[in-house]
Amino acid sequence: MHVDSIANLQLLINGLAIGSIYALVALGFVLIYNAVGVVNFAQGDFVMLPSYVAISFLVPTITVYGVSLHMQLPAVLVYLIVLVLMIGFGLLFNRIAYLPLRDRGWMPVVISTIGVSIFLRNFAQITWGSQPLSFPSPFPMNTINFSGLHVRPQDLFIIAVTAVLIAFQYVLFEKTPLGKQMRATAQDRTTARLLGVRVTRIVSITFVYSVLLGTIAGLLVSPIFNVTKEMGGLIALKAFAASIVGGFGNIPGAIIGGLAIGVVETFGGYYISSSYADAIAFVILIGVLLIRPQGLFGERIAEKA
Amino acid sequence: MPTSSKGPVLIHTRKKFLATTSAAATAAAFAGFPNIALGKGEPIRIGLIPPITGSNALLGQQEVDGVRLAVEQINARPGKVYDNRPFEVITEDATNDNQAAVSALNKILGENIVALLAPVLSTEIQAMSPVMKSHDIPWMTGGTAVKNTQLGVPSIFRLRASDGLTAAAMTAFALHEKKSKRPAILHASDAFGTGGADQILLNLKKYNVEPVANEQYPKDTNDFTAEILKCKTANCDSLLVYVQNPSDTAVILQQIRSLGLKVPIIGSPSLGNQSAIDIAKANANGVYCAQDFIIGFNSNVATRFLTAFYKRFGHAPDVGSGSGWIYDGVYLLADAYKKAKGTDPKATVAALRATKGWEGVMGTFTCDDEGNMIHQLSIGEINNGKIKLVKKVSA
Repeated sequence: MHVDSIANLQLLINGLAIGSIYALVALGFVLIYNAVGVVNFAQGDFVMLPSYVAISFLVPTITVYGVSLHMQLPAVLVYLIVLVLMIGFGLLFNRIAYLPLRDRGWMPVVISTIGVSIFLRNFAQITWGSQPLSFPSPFPMNTINFSGLHVRPQDLFIIAVTAVLIAFQYVLFEKTPLGKQMRATAQDRTTARLLGVRVTRIVSITFVYSVLLGTIAGLLVSPIFNVTKEMGGLIALKAFAASIVGGFGNIPGAIIGGLAIGVVETFGGYYISSSYADAIAFVILIGVLLIRPQGLFGERIAEKA
Repeated sequence: MPTSSKGPVLIHTRKKFLATTSAAATAAAFAGFPNIALGKGEPIRIGLIPPITGSNALLGQQEVDGVRLAVEQINARPGKVYDNRPFEVITEDATNDNQAAVSALNKILGENIVALLAPVLSTEIQAMSPVMKSHDIPWMTGGTAVKNTQLGVPSIFRLRASDGLTAAAMTAFALHEKKSKRPAILHASDAFGTGGADQILLNLKKYNVEPVANEQYPKDTNDFTAEILKCKTANCDSLLVYVQNPSDTAVILQQIRSLGLKVPIIGSPSLGNQSAIDIAKANANGVYCAQDFIIGFNSNVATRFLTAFYKRFGHAPDVGSGSGWIYDGVYLLADAYKKAKGTDPKATVAALRATKGWEGVMGTFTCDDEGNMIHQLSIGEINNGKIKLVKKVSA
């Protein structure tokens, strides 16, 4: 293959992998926004927390809260434990940060999610220390070489898992009664309640689902990025931009927005300048807001209001 | 009975009070007063503003420990610093932020200090320089940016090799030892990374070599594919890396490996930082880095320091950027005060300027016109979590 086309393909795979992570986190934003009408500023920390929990059981030795742990378990078991723990965390988050404030308007809830975010980051620093930790990948981190094209198995895994999750979500939302109730709650909570939907329970389930999306994103991205208390921050910022590009509140928009930002920033970093890689994502955001304020797939603001 | 039992207690207390006061008064008259008059036994207050909180807290802790060890050792020796005067350290938190560092500096200057152990972060030194210019006390820093000693602060002293020396050593190693003809540069976009890359460019120019790629990445980047791929498609035959953050280093090394870039990697001192090596694991194998200090290839002073540090704190120090240079800084000040027989800033600065062939942990100290004290450096190679000496370089 020609050098340029190899480089382009390599950039595309990489962009899609990082874009998939943005898409998963963007979906988390959108689902909570649709369910309760607030932006959850702790969404990025839902990526960070499970990564720290997982790494505590994945490496032979780790210092947790000053205590040396030696609890290396098989990776699959660890992922299951983390998913179960994060379901509990999602319920707790809903109970502490949202339920007591749900009748006080959107602002107190937003502030409460910011509070949770600050708490989680500092909790992580106290518990796991400020040193970045390297997360063992379930795959060899060496690349597979296809005549000059170096593909990292983890990247392909990220893309595959995201595709499966999106398909799962489609079936869940379109074909199951639970999904229909979730959509009904998102569209109009009062009407849904009148129709017999148990709105509070559906909202809890939505919170848990959002936390799980973050968890999966965290477990997927940690082997590439290392685990730090700040790892969720920049991902969440890009994911937030992605969900606005896609049309805030729109599910396909969040997915396509995430993938688009991942791909464009990777290509932009290569062809324009890597110093502007981050800026490129936000230039797209500003451009979309100027030309199409409702986002690529969003309804017009007037219709929504 | 309550009344009768209270009485004697009170008398007893009064007696004790009178006894203590008269003893103190006598002590002051016979010993304390002359001490104050002659400055004998009066503590010498030196300031320290490390990043105690924030993302560089580990580095800050290393600085605090380095100073603590030196001060404890000096205060325990007969005659202490000189004339029985001990060191007293005043500490303020510079955090990870320039503004906070300037505030900490302003606060600590009100504490009657006679010298400052300035932060190791060059960006903070540069932010603090306008305030530093208006005071003539000695400033001891470990910040390596070339600019630090060119800011017009007359009494600043750098106790580590500058980035100019580091970049020169890295470039010479790439071109001469690794026979590189098409070097590429990858660096962070902060003051440290850009300053280092500029120095590398300057050195390459001396040999009439143009880098085939010069890539910088913005703060908080986690994905370096675009940058590394650009170096790779430019067909580079060596990669010079100038970064500070251990986490960036680890991710960069991993992505270099996974993108199949197989050229010699020659990095700034932070690539040899123990935390970076610990995170990068096997990905750091075979990487070269410029080092102020390599354990196992050091002087006797350094061996004594390493042993004492381990005995005192129970773990090995991060010598280069952490505790070694600042430990030397305290000893240099002690020597200067002893020579000057006082803490007069002008005399102290003159004594520090006269430093020549002084043996410290970081090497042999000789002060040049700009206040640079260290003029030698090593190139090391990382393998299985350890660094071994490859070449010594002198300016």
